[in-house]
Amino acid sequence: MGIVQALLSVFLDDGDKLRCINAGRLRITFLLRSPLYYVCASSWGEPESVTRSHLEYLHLQILSIVTASQLRRIFERRTNFDLRRLLDGSEPFLFSLLGRMELDLAMATSSLNCLQLDQSLRARVAEALVPTSKMKDTLYIILVARGQVITLVRPKKHSIHPADIHILVNTVYSPSIVNSPASASWIPVCLPKFNPAGFVNAYITFLHRPDTDYKSYQRTTLENNESADITGASHVAENSHGATSRHTTRPIEDSGIGLVCISGGSEFETVRAWCDIVTQKLNDDGSLDALARAVDSGKTCYFASQLGIPGLRHFVYKSRPHVQITLPAFEEPYDTLDAKRRIVTLYQIVHDAIHAKSGQTGNLKLQYIRTEKEIVMGWITQPFELYVVLSPRLPKAAVINAANAVTRWVKKEEGQLFLRDAPVF
Amino acid sequence: MSKQFQFKLVLLGESAVGKSSLVLRFVKDQFDDYRESTIGAAFLTQTITLEDQTTVKFEIWDTAGQERYKSLAPMYYRNANCAVVVYDITQAASLEKAKTWIRELQRQADPSIVIALCGNKLDLSARRQVTEEEASKYADEEGLLWSETSAKTGEGVNAIFNAIAKKLPLTAPPSARGARVAASGAPRQSVDLNRQSTAHGSEACNC
Repeated sequence: MGIVQALLSVFLDDGDKLRCINAGRLRITFLLRSPLYYVCASSWGEPESVTRSHLEYLHLQILSIVTASQLRRIFERRTNFDLRRLLDGSEPFLFSLLGRMELDLAMATSSLNCLQLDQSLRARVAEALVPTSKMKDTLYIILVARGQVITLVRPKKHSIHPADIHILVNTVYSPSIVNSPASASWIPVCLPKFNPAGFVNAYITFLHRPDTDYKSYQRTTLENNESADITGASHVAENSHGATSRHTTRPIEDSGIGLVCISGGSEFETVRAWCDIVTQKLNDDGSLDALARAVDSGKTCYFASQLGIPGLRHFVYKSRPHVQITLPAFEEPYDTLDAKRRIVTLYQIVHDAIHAKSGQTGNLKLQYIRTEKEIVMGWITQPFELYVVLSPRLPKAAVINAANAVTRWVKKEEGQLFLRDAPVF
Repeated sequence: MSKQFQFKLVLLGESAVGKSSLVLRFVKDQFDDYRESTIGAAFLTQTITLEDQTTVKFEIWDTAGQERYKSLAPMYYRNANCAVVVYDITQAASLEKAKTWIRELQRQADPSIVIALCGNKLDLSARRQVTEEEASKYADEEGLLWSETSAKTGEGVNAIFNAIAKKLPLTAPPSARGARVAASGAPRQSVDLNRQSTAHGSEACNC
């Protein structure tokens, strides 16, 4: 702490220009979001812009808990206020965010990665979520599964910023909520991109919970997961890697389908009654069952090998008009945590270079990296950004062909890969 | 045909006294040694059957004990027919906090609200800081139900909810008793939905 304090005073003397310090493999990155300073020491080799965006998300998550105006007021009154007092009990949100950011490419590309789903089923479900006129003050209604958005219903006049969705989804899937034995939660939350000054309320309920016993659940996840932290007993202790602390909460695959209703009002009984009706409706018309079957059978994700493109191992495709990405599930040789981290870092490096995010001289159209193990290429055009990972032995012409083949495939499957034409009210 | 009643119940008390554990024991007969703090409030229901075959369904709002949620509490107790205010028998300060909640309920909640004071963590009675005499005397003076419980062993948990059910007016349906006071909520920063959101522009999700 003392060292950080000293570094911060340097930061201040410098007129807040200090962005990062490189010391060998270690990089200390600073972010000032007044009245808070964020500092991260990382030896992971990710671009500076990535660390900064992680700190930025951390800040947004903190705002979601306390709001910007509350934060400002408190520090105006008492400059030495210990923020931990205000955040008491909400640490799990921060830990699950840190765990999520590590591998989440939607967050890294400031976009949304919705659940792959049959177009007509998605549309049918969305129709059921359009609120009645009695539900005044409704802001957004979001259906999620496996930590991904299924559909999102919003008022005509309010779009939703991807960062707000990420903060919200992280909140919904933090252990305090998703592990709660309660049938629903009603929590005040600030959506910082929507309005950093005030709270809205979120009604959160999981519709299809597996019958798995809660206890045996914890046991299996502990066995399966490399760094499962379900018991939460030692949150900060086991931080073995240099970068932001890594915490995974229990796997979110099996938590069912989450219905989230964001309301500007405080009529929770009205919201609860409406959500009960919606749940009943989804149950009666079979869409909940269809959703659950799709999720359970793994139809909501795909693998790069299914595309049948020679040498293709993985890719990330961002549809720029939709501000959404699609990507296959990680498979061999990227199915271990370390391999995933490595490939995600490579994606981040290429993304950083293309967008000139870390002070490079100009944007690029194409970036090609070749490591011993693979080729990574990033390519940006008007309608899309594409990042592909291929076998290192592939000639350049084949790399271009593969990239074109991926875009053709995405175009063909667009209907189920992206969330389009969700109803507004 | 036996009678059926439905009541709203709110749990209040300092953080970490065991409110959620108490509800989890009552609703699912389970206990977790480690529980995440409740955020905002959690909703659960449980139905019990009294000796005369009357059934009472509790709609329970289990509130977060953290200070920053304090201003939200009126939203929950304004609608409530009964309240369980929990303290930790090993923490004297938590009883003081419970008394603050009780005073607030007596002032602000529906005058007919049934209040139970509940000393939790009876399994840790070796580290007791609050005597039974002290708490029960206070409860008597204030006209509250009182008992000690252990969410961990289950001791006393069902008993206190049963006692509440028996004290509730099981003659008229609760809806006739003005339980639906408009929940206008505490004065707090609210959001004007008519305000143009800052999310507009190229960054916004076009879905």
